[in-house]
Amino acid sequence: MDKKTRWMFWIAGIIIFAIFPKLAGIYYSNIVVSMSVWALFAVSLNMLLGFTGLLSFGHAMYFGTGAYGAALALTHVNGLSFFSAMAAGCLCSVVLSLIVAPVVVRVSGTAFAMIHLAFAQCMFVLALKFRNITGGEDGIGGFSVSHIRIPGLFSLDVTDPAVFFYLSIGTVILNLLVLWFVIQTPFGQVMAGTRDNVKRIEYLGFRVSHTKAVVYVLAAGSAGVAGAVSAMHQNLVAVNDAYGMMVSVLPIMIVMVGGARSFFGPIYGAVFFGFLEEYVTAYTDKFELILGLILIIFIMYWPLGLAGIFLKLKFKWLTRKQFLKRSGGGAG
Amino acid sequence: MNILETRNLEHEFNGYSVLKKVNLEIRKGETHAIIGPNGAGKTTLFNVISGMYTPSKGKVIFKKKDITGFKAYKIQRLGMGRSFQITATFDNLTAFQNIRMAVLSRKGIRFNLFRFVDKMNDVTTETINVLQNLDLWEACHTPAGMLSYGKQRSLEIGMALATDPDLVMLDEPAAGMSADETHTAVSLIKKLTKEKTVVIIEHDMDVVFSLADRITVLNHGTILATGIPKEIKANKDVQAAYLGRLEDE
Repeated sequence: MDKKTRWMFWIAGIIIFAIFPKLAGIYYSNIVVSMSVWALFAVSLNMLLGFTGLLSFGHAMYFGTGAYGAALALTHVNGLSFFSAMAAGCLCSVVLSLIVAPVVVRVSGTAFAMIHLAFAQCMFVLALKFRNITGGEDGIGGFSVSHIRIPGLFSLDVTDPAVFFYLSIGTVILNLLVLWFVIQTPFGQVMAGTRDNVKRIEYLGFRVSHTKAVVYVLAAGSAGVAGAVSAMHQNLVAVNDAYGMMVSVLPIMIVMVGGARSFFGPIYGAVFFGFLEEYVTAYTDKFELILGLILIIFIMYWPLGLAGIFLKLKFKWLTRKQFLKRSGGGAG
Repeated sequence: MNILETRNLEHEFNGYSVLKKVNLEIRKGETHAIIGPNGAGKTTLFNVISGMYTPSKGKVIFKKKDITGFKAYKIQRLGMGRSFQITATFDNLTAFQNIRMAVLSRKGIRFNLFRFVDKMNDVTTETINVLQNLDLWEACHTPAGMLSYGKQRSLEIGMALATDPDLVMLDEPAAGMSADETHTAVSLIKKLTKEKTVVIIEHDMDVVFSLADRITVLNHGTILATGIPKEIKANKDVQAAYLGRLEDE
């Protein structure tokens, strides 16, 4: 893609983003918001899984902590805005990850996966049992997000779905850009090196545990942002949707179907799953069954996921174009 | 002057003693080969020196500093680089990215989260230089896992050298290579380690005698003899333990 088409692409994207709530209505705007939340959550998991080689079976602990953090802040502090609540959620996840990090960066592979399963289940039980704080199974709901104002200039009503659409998508895109940038830095290279060969990275003088810790906190913080946005979107945090097993497993599925080797893979995966949920739940409530089948098909036939399929198609298209160009004189 | 010394170095795995009182002295600037039959403890010696294991007893002195029990990353930062017998490259990264990792390490760029790595021109230039020296320039965009075995071995040696260490530890750099490839590897090592101290484990006697200034023979975890190649060739114990058996074949 040359510079001009890239600019066109960005401008078209911004225009679609701006008119989408008007064009598609509240219902579809909400679907896009929840897709974007899942996309950010899955990308944050993929920072660990695809780019550093760490599989976590309990990433929900950061999504849930972000959600509870935002909800609790909104319930107990008056007049908190969208951004402060989001920051509160993100901060809670970061603090939790800093507590857990010294333990988890010392392990890898199966131990890393299982330790997270244990931690996430701990959080689940804690959230269930401390019902005076978390509301137990009922969860926390009905908190109000105050308007975003700059006195004398403007005031944004966050309860307006269109405004919420802009804010949440904007937040998610910003966070995704930060993560994308990290991949492109020297540190991103060290992450990839840790995934490919821990021994060599160590013998090149990089400290594996510190590298893992930085990625870990980044991933936790981003998952926290996703959780906080989700909490404000639903205006409810319940223990099953925050710390439930499915909340940990679904992003892994999204990453596998979208493609773990690509930064954008999980985003494709989240969009795919969003549409799938929309159409499948219209016919049956056995959504998980369909998910499982699709996961099996992808693992067997397209291990590189949707991102791999897109890359293949693009490659085919490019070679075809080149072929036509070369034989163009004769054919034309 | 000795750049590396081990003093009464001992190491055991589950009570089985692999190294017994090893006193190794590596002089600055020399190429020192370590030879010995299979299971003599050569790779274990490397692992103990370079920080993979902490020795059961004894000391490792590197540049007059006691580094016994240091972690691998710390020892590397003090100026010791090593290659592995079993290729340890980043298989999903290109040859360019592999070497760039070593260059980043040399420049001490470890936690930079604020710049595009592709736009660090000094790093790129240096990486290209190293790749040209290694004769890997044409394969620079190929993932390391897809390179031919010979090229992977070059990359392995190159990564150990690209961090510009004072002491290079090469663990069987020519393992599994054809005669031609071995020849290329030897001239590559000669070219790239001109002013460095090199410790090399090798089975191929041609390689050993063409590269080494001094040789240490290890057998059953103890040093049998140390000396210049001529002395080692003439040593009766060594012939019995090692060279003699090779000549029978």
